[in-house]
Amino acid sequence: MSDIGKVRVRIPSSIKAGDVVRVRTLVIHPMERIERDAQGKIIDKKYNYITKVTVTYLGKTVVSFDTTQSVSENPFFSFAFKATDPGQLKVAFTDTVGGKYEGTADIKFS
Amino acid sequence: MTEQHGFSRRSVLGTLGVLGAAAATGALARPGRATAQTLGMQETLDAGLKRVFGGRPIKDAGGLVKLDVPLIAENGAVVPVSVEVNSPMTPSNYVKHIYIVADKNRIPIVTRVAFAPEAGQAYMGANIRLGETTDVRAIVEQSDGTLLQAKREVKVTVGGCGG
Repeated sequence: MSDIGKVRVRIPSSIKAGDVVRVRTLVIHPMERIERDAQGKIIDKKYNYITKVTVTYLGKTVVSFDTTQSVSENPFFSFAFKATDPGQLKVAFTDTVGGKYEGTADIKFS
Repeated sequence: MTEQHGFSRRSVLGTLGVLGAAAATGALARPGRATAQTLGMQETLDAGLKRVFGGRPIKDAGGLVKLDVPLIAENGAVVPVSVEVNSPMTPSNYVKHIYIVADKNRIPIVTRVAFAPEAGQAYMGANIRLGETTDVRAIVEQSDGTLLQAKREVKVTVGGCGG
């Protein structure tokens, strides 16, 4: 699990100014699910899963996801944003054990 | 007498103050846990909907909300879901939140997506877990507070929640 926190951000190869762009992003993360003992009782421990995904573009939060353990392992998210100016698109993930993972993509117009 | 016991009014108040401060910082030191609790709770569907939406009426979305889920999911651990809402996304009329709800999951409220008008389009996609065959809903909260809902059943061959 040394790959935890690897983030991939995929943007279309050519973007025009003013386009609404769809972005796909993926993070390598176990998203631990709740475990139960033989009696069906929940084992009380600190589960490590992502609770927050924030997408920032030109310094402004455009989309944010609040996530729970019902989200798959190595979660994939997609979203749209309006590309108005060239700049950086940043996707930040936060998990329950204080891990912070980031991926960026440079938005350039062709 | 009180001074002899070492419980002067001043010292008692001082101690209480320190304890109070410790309690306050203790509570503030775990905000991550607190926010996780508000969404990732084990509850029934009705309790979850009531807690999040407070009994506000949820209207059927008709053609406004496009919910894309597979009819049959062979593996419940990874079910792709995507939602697209037909909305102008202007500062006066935009989609504030999209909630993904899986009726029979132990944690029914799967995710909440918040949008700013700058997003240009209310679109989201994610991979979710489903414990068993269940209805999946997309509940859309618009900037004026209206709630819209689209619902589809997903047949799950192998459950993926475990929890």
